[in-house]
Amino acid sequence: MRSGGDNRGRLLLISLIVTSLFLITLDLRGVQVLGGIRSGSQTVLSPVQSVAATVFRPVGNFFSDITHLGRTRGEISKLQAANEKLRQALINRKNADSELAQLKSVLDLAGTAKYKVVSARVISLGSTSSFTQTISIDAGTKDGVRPNMTVITGLGLVGVVKVAYPNSALVQLATDPAFSVGSRVAGSQQIGILSGQGTGKGVLQLLDNRTNLKVGDVILARGSQNNLPFVPGVPIGEVTSVDNAAGEVTQSADVKFFVKFSALSVVSVVLGAPQADPRDALVPKAPVPTPVPTVTIYAKPSESPTP
Amino acid sequence: MFARRFLISFPIFAVMYVIQETIVSQFRIFGSGFSLFLIFTLLWSALGTPELGALTGFGAGLLMDLSQSSSGPMGQWMLIMILAGFSISYLGYGDDNFRGNPLSLVVIVALAVPITRLVYLILGLMFGGQLGSTLQIFTSLFASGLWTVAVVPLLMPLVTRIHSGLFEDLSRG
Repeated sequence: MRSGGDNRGRLLLISLIVTSLFLITLDLRGVQVLGGIRSGSQTVLSPVQSVAATVFRPVGNFFSDITHLGRTRGEISKLQAANEKLRQALINRKNADSELAQLKSVLDLAGTAKYKVVSARVISLGSTSSFTQTISIDAGTKDGVRPNMTVITGLGLVGVVKVAYPNSALVQLATDPAFSVGSRVAGSQQIGILSGQGTGKGVLQLLDNRTNLKVGDVILARGSQNNLPFVPGVPIGEVTSVDNAAGEVTQSADVKFFVKFSALSVVSVVLGAPQADPRDALVPKAPVPTPVPTVTIYAKPSESPTP
Repeated sequence: MFARRFLISFPIFAVMYVIQETIVSQFRIFGSGFSLFLIFTLLWSALGTPELGALTGFGAGLLMDLSQSSSGPMGQWMLIMILAGFSISYLGYGDDNFRGNPLSLVVIVALAVPITRLVYLILGLMFGGQLGSTLQIFTSLFASGLWTVAVVPLLMPLVTRIHSGLFEDLSRG
């Protein structure tokens, strides 16, 4: 290792650091430095991302399904190739079916609440180097998507649009640590604030400590002024545990999100919502247990008793 | 000379950036996966001089700041990558035993990736970011180190060949 850098190297390092600090300062002060380039780069990348999503998602599933790569006999290789083709087609079909089911379910939810929505495919799953939880979708300002619009699936709240580009948009997921949404408990209408934690659960802090919150309570979005960033009534999740520690100023609870964030492929952005609050109309119906047929046997003594 | 080297290596970084943003970001694997671009940049920096490492970090940081999934202010990744690029190249500069040993390169990059991400997190907190679940953060940092150990040996032959080909040709010419 060398003992120290020369003056030229130090000067270069210092000037680079000063440049970056200058950019940070300008950005934090609200000057959108290089904002146009960021937007432009995303405009260029989004079609490529869209293609990559189409190509590589099924490939990922395909590789996970391959189990017999070691077989090399010529006789079976043709059959294997045909089999793989069929399997690929099946995976593609499953993928399409899954997207169709998600689309149908989100349209059901939007129809019940009379939301005006635009549906979009997830084209990227966000950064792997930072700790933010985001997705990119293939709908942007050309489709009417604007920042601060609510994003949903058929199961409920996904997140909120942070940045909208012409052909794509960046969505902050509800699991993001920086995410928070005004919420209310279905039924009791108690209000609180739900925050993401970077995991599949959020933390709900109720504003009133006297509230009687219980496990299984459904949490809904409370809605914002002019429906931005959140439209009212969107299901968020259900309470899995309640922190009833004495002396706490506010009551808090863990809330498991309804949406499976690891399996998002189709989402909808709410472009408009009716004036009327849907209240609890969107609360998911409790699963109806399948009746199990019971067979009753009546024992009847025979008329001629055995001696 | 620096500017010339920087400009020549920029298209390579642009390609890696596009691969990261379009392909690698499609897969959600254990511990939120790995950043191919970050690994590539640190490995590239580890093979050069400290000045070149800082300049590489500057360019790579700029691209990372341009990523739509970058949550921090413009320049945050740039600052961290300048320091990371400079530090990782400074550690091995002048020590041929260190650079000639693939194992030491794997270890240093595998340590540098989670440290860089941790510094990004800490700096993000200073800029008003949110922390989230501590367990999730530690899992992600630990997993990124493990993924780096797996990815660097695959990437190293390519990076060393391109790097040596590019810079040896330049120094000859």
